[in-house]
Amino acid sequence: MGSAWKGPAISPAIVKRRGENFTRLTGEWMTPRRRFLSALYGGRVDKVPAMTLSSVVTLDAMEIADAWFPEAHLDAEQMARLAATAHEELGLDTIMPVFHSQLEADALDAATWWGTVDNWPATNDHVLTDPEDFKIPSDYLNRPSFEAALGAIRLLRKRYPDVGIVGKVYGPWSVGYHLVGIENYLMDTILDPDKIRRYLEVMLPACMMSAHAQLEAGADAIMWADHANRELVSPETYRDFLLEMHKEVTVEMGGPSIFHCCGETTDRIDYFAEAGWDCFHFESQVDPYVAKEIAGDRMSLMGNINNPTTLFSGTYEDTYEACMKVMQAGINGIAPEGSVPLGTKNDVLMALADSARDYSDAHRPDGRLVVHDPPPADNGAEAD
Amino acid sequence: MAQLSDIANEFIRDEIEEFLERPEEIERNLALFSRVSPAMQDIAAALIDGDDVTVDRLTRKALDGGVGALEIMDDGLIAGMGIVGIKFREGYVFVPEVLVSARAMKAGMAHIEPILAASGVEPIGTVIMGTVQGDLHDIGKNLCIMMLRGGGFTVIDLGVNTSPAEFVAAVEEHSAHLIGMSALLTTTMPNMAKTVEAFKDAGIRESVRFMVGGAPVTPEFGKDVGADGYGKDALACVELAKKLAVEVN
Repeated sequence: MGSAWKGPAISPAIVKRRGENFTRLTGEWMTPRRRFLSALYGGRVDKVPAMTLSSVVTLDAMEIADAWFPEAHLDAEQMARLAATAHEELGLDTIMPVFHSQLEADALDAATWWGTVDNWPATNDHVLTDPEDFKIPSDYLNRPSFEAALGAIRLLRKRYPDVGIVGKVYGPWSVGYHLVGIENYLMDTILDPDKIRRYLEVMLPACMMSAHAQLEAGADAIMWADHANRELVSPETYRDFLLEMHKEVTVEMGGPSIFHCCGETTDRIDYFAEAGWDCFHFESQVDPYVAKEIAGDRMSLMGNINNPTTLFSGTYEDTYEACMKVMQAGINGIAPEGSVPLGTKNDVLMALADSARDYSDAHRPDGRLVVHDPPPADNGAEAD
Repeated sequence: MAQLSDIANEFIRDEIEEFLERPEEIERNLALFSRVSPAMQDIAAALIDGDDVTVDRLTRKALDGGVGALEIMDDGLIAGMGIVGIKFREGYVFVPEVLVSARAMKAGMAHIEPILAASGVEPIGTVIMGTVQGDLHDIGKNLCIMMLRGGGFTVIDLGVNTSPAEFVAAVEEHSAHLIGMSALLTTTMPNMAKTVEAFKDAGIRESVRFMVGGAPVTPEFGKDVGADGYGKDALACVELAKKLAVEVN
């Protein structure tokens, strides 16, 4: 049995906010980074990781870090400082600096509106009508959005060697929404499917370059988002346009992969597992028991904590209870289902780490490794 | 009760047989399509199939043949879109198919709208529609607008990234009583609440009714932000607008 981890003490910020009585889980022996990576691969953990895989930036966090939207999107130091509040303030096992969804699209000449202090960036004009016109600029990875994101990852790697650093890539399907416009893009899946296949083909190298650059800068894993979600397209659309491409991505990426797709994805989780993603970051519309049953041992599951109702509108207690329920389903780690609204309160987000600690404390029969309860027979997978 | 065999168009018969499950919807559509002329059935079938060229041609042909614009809109275009809406709700088709049908409806409405506008038909009400601040997604909103216009409403489209102040200004400018807010992102949904607050601050909250919708929006969230109703899709949006219009007219 390994001795307790002697890494950095609980951050002074957390002690200040939570009082001297706040303690780490007794007998905690994994670093947050090791815990995150082990959970990502479905392995042993001393504690269920509580994470951010998208963004937990809030107005509270901006004030604490004195790093503000929209400047923080294009300034490595501000981005790193703001992202680090996930660990420093909320006690999460990961830090995710790429808050926005514009990284690749902006560097590919999409017209980006960088938002305001309380509004997220977005693409406000679409530049592409023909896949043959698509080109990766020669200075692609040196464009401002990449300079900031890669710089922030390097800073965070240096400052937090024991914390999981998560990078983010928008895959070619989602970059297509930005560059082509979602309406035209979706219509062409029916009217001109070969054109969509060509878009995917020409855009994929730009997305792979982004993934490789973030891994090289020090990211432990890449969260890859391609929004082929049920609110937009059928599971067959994912199968016919993306499955084979994602099989290549998961092999070629060269690092741990987390796939993200919004919304109610139950009907396509099987395809995601088949694609070879190491982990699926899923939303609260999906029953975690059902997701677990479908994914089995092929793919880990993380996320599932509802943003609008639980984290934004709910209380600390609501969130704590929701996290407990998700962990009882045996998923590999808890995290907000997507980027939290900026008005979410940090006091509520603290329930993520607190519930993970308490759940793990109650589910370590040998005092060392978390063992989940078998699922109830009437909910998802049958108990052994 | 009308029978499938009363409907001349084979495509429409197949659609009803294959995709409609709720007894009241089967009955309603059997009654509708067995009543309307084969020409209107053909327009509806082309619209369901997403064939904008055929809808354009058949609409012009029907108008030239003396069929009224209102009849073409109700019995051809909206009737067809009703089937598309049901298929979307039940998961038989997804947004791309709806968009392609919407494009076909637009092709028909391009001929119908000028005639209706010139005829002086009174709208049911005026709806101010917009995607909330910080959100640039408008597919759902645009589908709602199309169906609202088809349903007899005048719609003022504020587009995307609409600030609370812009919603207030539009309501005042157009003397409207209905507002539709859309959001696709969980990060922008809170701006629905900010918009409702802006109406309170302006002292006009009681004279308007708010509808909310969008993929991550739920009826519960709608209540939380102080909205008067939630619409799951474009068809539900029209029903809700009709209900709320009664309250404020």
